[in-house]
Amino acid sequence: MINLKSGITPTWCPGCNNFLLFAGIQQAIDQLGIAKENVVLVFDIGCIGNMADFFNTYSVHSLHGRCIPTALGVKLANPKLTVIAIGGDGGVYGEGMGHLIAAARADAPITVVVSDNHLYSLTTGQTSPTTPKGSKTKSTPLGSISVPINPVSLLHTINPDVMVDSIDGRDPQLITAKLVEALKHPGFSLLDLQQICVTFGKELSA
Amino acid sequence: MSQDVFTVKIAGPAGSGIKSSGLLLSHILVAHGFNIRDYSEYPSLIRGGHNTYQVSFSANELFAPHYDIDVFFSLLPQHWSQHTSEFNQSTLVFGDDAPVVLPLKDLAQQIGGHLYVNTLCLGVIAYIFSLNQDTCHQIITQTFGSDTPNLKAFDLGFDYASKNYAQSKITLIFPQKITNDKIYEGNEAYSWGFIAGGGNFYAAYPMTPSSGAMHFLAGVQEKYKITFIHPEDEIAAASLCAGAVFAGARAATGTSGGGFALMCETVSLCGAANLGVVFYLVSRPGPATGLPTWTSQGDLLFAVNSGHGEFNKIVIAPGDQAESFEFGAESLNLAAKFNIPVIVLSDKFVAESSASLSDLSTKKADIIISQQPLPGTPGQEYLANSYEHDAAGYAVEDIDTINKNAAVRQQQRQQIIKSLPSPKLLNNNSSNLIMSWGSTKSTILETLKLLENKYDYLQLTTLWPIDAEIKTILSKYQKIFVIENNATAQLVTLLKSQFDFNPVKIILKSDGRPFFPEELVKELKQYD
Repeated sequence: MINLKSGITPTWCPGCNNFLLFAGIQQAIDQLGIAKENVVLVFDIGCIGNMADFFNTYSVHSLHGRCIPTALGVKLANPKLTVIAIGGDGGVYGEGMGHLIAAARADAPITVVVSDNHLYSLTTGQTSPTTPKGSKTKSTPLGSISVPINPVSLLHTINPDVMVDSIDGRDPQLITAKLVEALKHPGFSLLDLQQICVTFGKELSA
Repeated sequence: MSQDVFTVKIAGPAGSGIKSSGLLLSHILVAHGFNIRDYSEYPSLIRGGHNTYQVSFSANELFAPHYDIDVFFSLLPQHWSQHTSEFNQSTLVFGDDAPVVLPLKDLAQQIGGHLYVNTLCLGVIAYIFSLNQDTCHQIITQTFGSDTPNLKAFDLGFDYASKNYAQSKITLIFPQKITNDKIYEGNEAYSWGFIAGGGNFYAAYPMTPSSGAMHFLAGVQEKYKITFIHPEDEIAAASLCAGAVFAGARAATGTSGGGFALMCETVSLCGAANLGVVFYLVSRPGPATGLPTWTSQGDLLFAVNSGHGEFNKIVIAPGDQAESFEFGAESLNLAAKFNIPVIVLSDKFVAESSASLSDLSTKKADIIISQQPLPGTPGQEYLANSYEHDAAGYAVEDIDTINKNAAVRQQQRQQIIKSLPSPKLLNNNSSNLIMSWGSTKSTILETLKLLENKYDYLQLTTLWPIDAEIKTILSKYQKIFVIENNATAQLVTLLKSQFDFNPVKIILKSDGRPFFPEELVKELKQYD
């Protein structure tokens, strides 16, 4: 099995679904037989972005909302590389929504992975673009007024050619299998991992 | 002294081909061997309003366009009266309702409509200045093809002038020899520099007055193997460049102040993660949308202070079109050498004005390659991190590493200073010094020519980091004059933050227009 780990111990909360994605990315790259040096991981900001430190690959820990254009820059400069943008629901569907739409329109040849836990968790639990309507969070103590984004229907409306899937982020086999599928897809692919934040996500409206 | 610089100006509504006929005239003049410097004004709209194009030309050395007009054309009635301050007793002002009546409305009917009166005016100019008709025909044919109605329009103008304006002919001294010079806007010159410097990735979002570079590079992307992209916004443009540089590209983005405001987070990212991205910042007057199609040096301190946090960056400012080429290439080298953001600070006056220069398309530049590890290379994996990090790129928060990183940045700053473009001193053995940065250079050099070089002149080409050695140069002068195209003397503020600096006079202008040599002559003569 390919070793992509840096040796730095992950700092996520015990039971965090991000551990499964961390393993899934390594398994998918291993299964596809991609050489370590040809993988570039571009991270957004947030709990999932902190995964940057746990890998020993060519990586960029970019800015909040900017993992997609940064990853696309890498890919356009060297199309031989396998480029994965990794972010959360806040970065990809909130701050970076314009970039997501543009990348889907262009069928940009990168894979985006979203740890979608319906919250801004690194900043201790505010409402995100996928928080259910009515949820009480630190920034919406009276209940959120917005309906959540559905990334699958949204992206299919923008460009039916893109590959987009939303799966249970607590299922390790499924994560690896879907990642392999997304990385094989020649155009734009987005894998939305439905997660529950073990620390701040217990009180969201169902 | 006999007049050796002549200036022609064409005015009319947007959409009537002011700039295209003006550039055609410039090409004709360059084909005769003249040096040209031009300047155009236009409002931010597509049809109507009031556009102007002026070109100064000379058989001798010429640095900047002049304010005083020798021959003026009003393509529609009422497009001349607002320019009377640019006229003198001998100015020929042509137009339907102008002092020298040129019945453009009637003549237009003979050449298929008003669309061609701009070229008709070129015929009048050719007659007035005794230009070579064959050369004129040749340039018109090269531009529009051999069956263009513009040829007929030109001939009609020439014939009409020969019948009516024989008394108004102006005697020129023609150049001794014809050069192979070409005409370059600053944006185009920057783009040729980018190509010569090995630039291979350009991402930009349209914003006047920087878009000329994007249009040019988009147009030649296949020929010069440039990855060009016009993304969804300026943030994406800058982020694309950051990613591209990580993967080994020589990348630049171009914008003006408003777009650069959006890019500032990426400037900071590049400083933290050591990504050598070039930002081609072409200023126009702000704040906010400001005056989109006019000129300003109002973004100096913004560029110097761009991006949150404390990190190394470089700001260099070309003073003219030739330096736009030079810095287009040099910026990529500096970015590759130090792996930090490099800002090339230009403005509308340089970027959208043209100069006759020797062919830039074949000019070579030295290329310095970045030593950063490249994705695809086994064993050198690393993390380019926006967080404070250790040598391998991993995020750290311990006091020792934080302090060590700050010390490394400080050391790097000293190395950077040694590698940057030096200030350019024009030494005329004067005890008085004029000092400036950026686009005022050309006008100041033209002014000094008119003042018979009574002053020394120091042009700061590097605006950040500031080399304290400048102080040694300044200490030799009794009086220092600073000239800036902004309202708040930003260079003075910047230098005062670095050392004691007390110029005797600060000459400022911030109305969206560049300085002209005539007004600087007047300003400086007060201090004789």
